Amino acid sequence: MKKSLMLLVVSLAFVLSLAPNLFAEVGVTDTEIHIGQWGPQTGPAAAWGSVARGTGAYFQWINDNGGIHGRKIVYHMFDDGYNPAKTVAGVKELQEGTGIFAWASGVGTSPGMAVKDYLAQNNVPWVGPAAGSLNWVNPPQRNLFAVYPLYDGEAKALVRYAIEKMGKKKVAVAYLNDEYGKNGLRGAQEELKAHGLKTVAEVSFEAADSDLNPHVMKLKQSDADMVLLWTTVTHAAKVVGISKAMKFEPQFMSTSTCSDFPLMMSITKGAWEGVICATFGELPDSDYPAIVKYKKEVFDKYAAKEERWGLFYYAGILFVEPMIEALKNVGPDLTREKFITEMEKIKGFKGLGAEVNFKPFDKNDMYSRQGASQTFLVQCLAEGKAKKLTEWMDIK
Amino acid sequence: MTDLIQMIVSGIATGSSYALMGLAMVIIYKTSEVPNFAQGEMALISSFFAMMLLTSFNLNVYLAFSLAFLFAAVLGCFLEFAVLRRAKEPNVLGMIVITIGIEMVILGFVSWKFGAEQKTMPFPIDPYDSLFIGDIFLKKLDILTLVSALVLMVVLFVFFRFSKLGLAMKATQQNSVAARIVGVRTNRILMVTWGISSLVGAVAGLLISPTIMHPYMMWDPMLKGFAAAVMGGMTSLPGAVVAAYMLGIIENLFGGYISIEFKTVVAFVIIVAVLCFKPSGLFARHYVKKV
Amino acid sequence: MDMKRDYYEDVRLFSSPAVVFWFVVLLGALYLFPLFAENYYVYVANYIAINIIVATGLNLLVGYTGQISLGHAGFFAIGAYGTIILMAKAGLPFLLALPGAALIAAGFGFFLGLPSLRLEGPYLAIATLGFGLTITQVIGRVQLFGGREGLHAPDITIGSWIIDTDKEFYILLITLTIFLLLFMRNLIRTRVGRAFIAIRDADIAASTMGVNILYYKTLAFAVSAFYAGIGGGLYAFVLKFIEPEIFTLMMSIMFLAMVVVGGLGSMMGSIAGATLLCWLDLKLRNILSIPYIGDWLEHLSKNWFSITGVSNIQFIVFGTIMILIMLFEPLGLFGVWIRTKKYWRTWPF
Repeated sequence: MKKSLMLLVVSLAFVLSLAPNLFAEVGVTDTEIHIGQWGPQTGPAAAWGSVARGTGAYFQWINDNGGIHGRKIVYHMFDDGYNPAKTVAGVKELQEGTGIFAWASGVGTSPGMAVKDYLAQNNVPWVGPAAGSLNWVNPPQRNLFAVYPLYDGEAKALVRYAIEKMGKKKVAVAYLNDEYGKNGLRGAQEELKAHGLKTVAEVSFEAADSDLNPHVMKLKQSDADMVLLWTTVTHAAKVVGISKAMKFEPQFMSTSTCSDFPLMMSITKGAWEGVICATFGELPDSDYPAIVKYKKEVFDKYAAKEERWGLFYYAGILFVEPMIEALKNVGPDLTREKFITEMEKIKGFKGLGAEVNFKPFDKNDMYSRQGASQTFLVQCLAEGKAKKLTEWMDIK
Repeated sequence: MTDLIQMIVSGIATGSSYALMGLAMVIIYKTSEVPNFAQGEMALISSFFAMMLLTSFNLNVYLAFSLAFLFAAVLGCFLEFAVLRRAKEPNVLGMIVITIGIEMVILGFVSWKFGAEQKTMPFPIDPYDSLFIGDIFLKKLDILTLVSALVLMVVLFVFFRFSKLGLAMKATQQNSVAARIVGVRTNRILMVTWGISSLVGAVAGLLISPTIMHPYMMWDPMLKGFAAAVMGGMTSLPGAVVAAYMLGIIENLFGGYISIEFKTVVAFVIIVAVLCFKPSGLFARHYVKKV
Repeated sequence: MDMKRDYYEDVRLFSSPAVVFWFVVLLGALYLFPLFAENYYVYVANYIAINIIVATGLNLLVGYTGQISLGHAGFFAIGAYGTIILMAKAGLPFLLALPGAALIAAGFGFFLGLPSLRLEGPYLAIATLGFGLTITQVIGRVQLFGGREGLHAPDITIGSWIIDTDKEFYILLITLTIFLLLFMRNLIRTRVGRAFIAIRDADIAASTMGVNILYYKTLAFAVSAFYAGIGGGLYAFVLKFIEPEIFTLMMSIMFLAMVVVGGLGSMMGSIAGATLLCWLDLKLRNILSIPYIGDWLEHLSKNWFSITGVSNIQFIVFGTIMILIMLFEPLGLFGVWIRTKKYWRTWPF
């Protein structure tokens, strides 16, 4: 008995001596903080990949300005091609090989869903997934902080504006058949119901559809005076274009995903003019001080020459700002627990996007982990300029 | 009634780009019996080449398009000469995998060079300009596509039927050993075939790109074109075109009257149904295999 | 090659005691692997093992029976969804739900096999391709299947054993894989297997000799779909989350490429092909961190291409490797292996 106890103590001592950093936090050394992100750089969703590159440029800028309490951020970005199997592989490789302190952003609902449980089990913080999915916060999870406003909120704001300010009565919804599209549809339905109205048409799109004539005909037949587009960028552009060709001219409204006006104007050859979008952040070419600063100091300095200061690129900064704020607030003694506590303390934080608020973890309150719930509306003018229609408004 | 006519007209418009891709696939299959999965990407790189000439070098549209066609033809010849001809003891599946490999390489190059963001090609005709006949609308670009598809079909049909080169291609397909014995250089014939096919594909690509360009834009037209080619009998040029228009019209009618949700896949269901009754497609003569 | 003296030598599973020995060593190594490997490598091994199962099944169809399928992602999806639905909605335990779902996939395989009696080459390719696309579309529309929002995989329990880590799942998976591979190896050497091969080589000749083409062609489709279904059912638990968009046409194409690159009509080939292509698929994204080559590629991107699209080099490398293997060795990796073996056997002559 005594002997085996001895053996245990000796072996325990041996193990401890092998692991001198046992009590230090994973992914944090005296000079470095390791942060990871996945983002599709290849494959059909690669247009979203600039989110991850934007984050990278932002981290570089932070490092060149002294880092965080003497530590530099080591940024591990990998390409998952929007394939969840690859996302899981990459996350596990980095988490177990290099050791990642926290994960930033990450494009897409299904890649995120594939690693959500893994990160939760290991209690690895994850801030600002780049998709407005209800899955992140319903039910809320202790390690996961969502910064992207929920899509149904955006839809409500748009429909409310159309009814109350523009006097529209016949609302049709064109939505992508997935979580993103259906959340938009649900938001619109709820808001219409509150006004005693109903959608006049609901037309669903498959991501693979490339001939959209029948869809637009359906919309036209419904004789809608407002059409809400909750589709991919390509589909939205084509719908607006084909409608123009058909001389079907309702007020089009669309989500933050399609609020990159210079891009939308260029791929619709000007047909996008007049479309109203909800948006989750200050506009890329506005004179909002933080935007001007980041454009000058981050984008102009660190971005590759092919990069565009577009919505997705600066969204990469927007989604991780709260994370940097919390890292700064923790102070030099950085652990995951302290980081999560600091994240929870974030109140009224104003970066590029909506005001961000978190609360101490409460498994019945999704707003303890859903940070942003504000949006504002903009209208596209000629040459991709934008006109602000409303101020930031709260929609829950 | 207006709706019905409109749907048929839209279907014909959609069918035109399927028809062009279908023609391109048929040309290669006719001579070498390889279903070419790289067809879409060959058209893709030619379209992006044209866009580069237009935007980076500010060439005139007609010059840029001519150069793009030349590029497409050379690319087709090159791929046959440098890749497919080098295959040792080729079997059909091996050739299919090679074309898939080519597809990946070209897709990689295009995305590497031009990035993934959606673009559009400057074009003399605005893609959203349309003509109205009564209440029926037709985009001007669609009219151009329709005319190109029909003209190309007739030209190719005549070419294969009556020209010396066309006859040599036919001979190569039916019995390449015999063709070689009577003095047809089958290798060169195959190379020319690939060139022509690539050129036809490039027409499709260039007519799709004024709307929206991105590296995956040719997937759907290629699959539908392939489907149309199969339904038309895989070796029949008019068959591919007719089948392509049928698919376009059926898709539009199905989307309009039955279910918009399953519009994209209805084409394939119809094909399986058609093939169950006519296993070699609608327009091909059925050759009975000898043991 | 060794001379075979009687029938039993021909049908023996192991041709010599040495083979038995190495087989046992291999088994031991496979089962001990998770003790030494990091979790990440175990995950990669799981991913590869699943692809091996599917490739082996597809090889039966493509390599041994001479049919083509571009719709195996459809069977894969049926297996994945079937397993989760049977567990979550019908309350079946995993070990029943998995074969149950695979049987459903096999049923679909049977029906898809029916047109194959009259179709071949590109005709069959487009029919199967259409099947694969239709299945995911249908799944995406049915609320029972979670639509496009996807489904979560429940935990697996076998008796009192709760499988919730990659390593535990590996043990289960590797056992199933070995079992399925041995089953396939035996199947091919029976009457049934020889009937498949006869159909591949000359279906009309086979039918005149009394091989029931209807029965064996549909059987090949059903067995192949069964394997894909098993693979799909297991994949759902590796990812823990599935949605229809995972099961793309690209996936079907990759399955076919694994079989062809590995070597048609060879089980070793399928294993090698699946391993190589999966490994490349997961690892090629690191191509820019290779010393020298990575720097050179980055330089090239900055001057001639675009740095934002630099990751797409992995497609180029992937495609090139596929092309080169097929150009120089029509038998695929299996052909390379045979040639190497032959070379060393007769060395130095």
